[in-house]
Amino acid sequence: MTQTYGEPIIEVEGLRKVYHRLVAVDDVSFVMHRGESFGFLGPNGAGKSTIVKVLTGLVAPTAGTVRILGQPVSNLAMRRRIGYLPELPTFHRWLHAKEFLRFHGRLYGMRGMALEKRCREVLELVGLAGRENQKLGTFSKGMMQRIGLAQAILNRPELVLLDELVSGLDPVGQRDMRNLLRQLKSEGMGIFLNSHQLADVEALCDRVAIINEGRILKVGAPQSLFDEAPVFMVRASPIHKELLHRLGSVALAVQQDEHDPCLLYVEIQKDEQAADIAEIVHACGSRLYGLAPHHRSLEQLFLRTIDASHQRVPAEFTKL
Amino acid sequence: MGLVLITRFTLLEAMRRRLFLAVLILSILIVAAFAILLRIVMNASLGNSGSGFNTQLTELGEGAIITVLAIWMVYLLSSTLTIVFTANMISGEVEAGTFALIVPKPLTRVEIVLGKWLGYALIVCVYTALLFLSFLAVIHWQTGYWPTDALSALGLLELGMLALLGITTLGSSLVPTMVNGAIALMLFLGAPTASIVQFVVQIFKPTSSPTVQPVTTIINLIIPTDALWHGASFFLLPPAANLLTLGISLPTFNTPFTSGQPITPALLIWAALYCIALPALAALRFHRRDL
Repeated sequence: MTQTYGEPIIEVEGLRKVYHRLVAVDDVSFVMHRGESFGFLGPNGAGKSTIVKVLTGLVAPTAGTVRILGQPVSNLAMRRRIGYLPELPTFHRWLHAKEFLRFHGRLYGMRGMALEKRCREVLELVGLAGRENQKLGTFSKGMMQRIGLAQAILNRPELVLLDELVSGLDPVGQRDMRNLLRQLKSEGMGIFLNSHQLADVEALCDRVAIINEGRILKVGAPQSLFDEAPVFMVRASPIHKELLHRLGSVALAVQQDEHDPCLLYVEIQKDEQAADIAEIVHACGSRLYGLAPHHRSLEQLFLRTIDASHQRVPAEFTKL
Repeated sequence: MGLVLITRFTLLEAMRRRLFLAVLILSILIVAAFAILLRIVMNASLGNSGSGFNTQLTELGEGAIITVLAIWMVYLLSSTLTIVFTANMISGEVEAGTFALIVPKPLTRVEIVLGKWLGYALIVCVYTALLFLSFLAVIHWQTGYWPTDALSALGLLELGMLALLGITTLGSSLVPTMVNGAIALMLFLGAPTASIVQFVVQIFKPTSSPTVQPVTTIINLIIPTDALWHGASFFLLPPAANLLTLGISLPTFNTPFTSGQPITPALLIWAALYCIALPALAALRFHRRDL
């Protein structure tokens, strides 16, 4: 089933950013639509933060065009309709939580009772109710992240840009933040997420772009992004050369486990070939103790994609 | 609207920072100590002199000298405060990362820079005025001396502070805080060079004065704070007619720290433009800066 989305809310075309001689972002193009959540996934230094800084006007692009909600980044009216939480945000530590939200609310053009009410609401939403009069300087890293998210959603934005959402949060905090963002997404808020945590993008994003060394490597739904040939775990004994040779003739690749000499990983073209594996094991005089599909984690697949982009390993079956 | 919000935020920040409180308390202590010392000196002075018209003249003469010295201290204190307080105006926020939340909001970068500049300009000007008037009040109480053109002197002093603020504003949009502070301090301390050189030349080789003049002018154009102080010192002295009755001519006051002539209109216009142009350049630079 394909999901249909609204008009584009982020349009990036041929984006390039060069710092002195360092190319941070190289010819990046993508579109994010209203109603979807989009994530950038990549290791540290991949260029994710530079892209989000260009989207928020903190950094000027060397080349390319960027439009948010149909407007250029410099458009002030458009900026009233977006929210942003930077990576590891730092705040004016002398402010109390409520003063901090009031200040940012006023920058958004909010005033009076409506602002006061919204401040209370967002503090409640991020789990900081009762901390209104606490100084930000006394906040923990997790609380900083929460109050940062509170200011990002203060103006009920149509689009919120988040750079590394859960850094500094404990597992409970991470779950709470993901649940809150899922709720906001269901209410129609567009979410653009930068992360190097697969769990974040898997939980929140409809589409993900994998980025490394300033270039987009793949774009797609998290589940389909790492669509690779099935791998089966084969436990048999004895494992001898003939068995390995015959399996190799039908499989894409065969790998013996480092620690368990009776365990093989066999990459095949389609699941139906599993029966052929069983037949070959029997035909070679070995006993088959187990034959089960092996699910590679997203993390392993992500690392394979990044490694392949570095050309450190061949694209064929590698150590699992 | 963004400009007003940033100005208010800057004022609030200044009030909350302990530095401001420390400076305020120390300034009150300095004025109090000055009042006590002046009281002691004046009592001793009165004990040694006679009475009548001569005593009054002596008091006024001492008052004028004390006024120049005291306001020179105000100039030094306010200038130091301006450099220390504002060297991190923009660079500090960039280095701390706090601008990452403010810049993407619906306000222009020009509003951010000028809002911060306006906030600090108000603080520096109010502080200078309070300190200036406090010292003058103490001197008036003890000696009866009050410069006839006190407000002109204050105006030039304020212009000097705004020139210094312009330097730190531009500097903080270009270089890190420490570098900016060091540059501002070096310029401020280097500014009296022109006055000292001119003074030495006048004493030892008066014929070379016209040769030295262009160098003095260039230094005053680069950093007009010292020229503005000299302009202010002129207005702190008694009127020329009163000085003549005491047998003193105005050129007597042409020293590295005081001036017997008012500031030239050209230099005054330059200083005013300087105070406007430097923050404007800072806003322009910040507008194009990657954060």
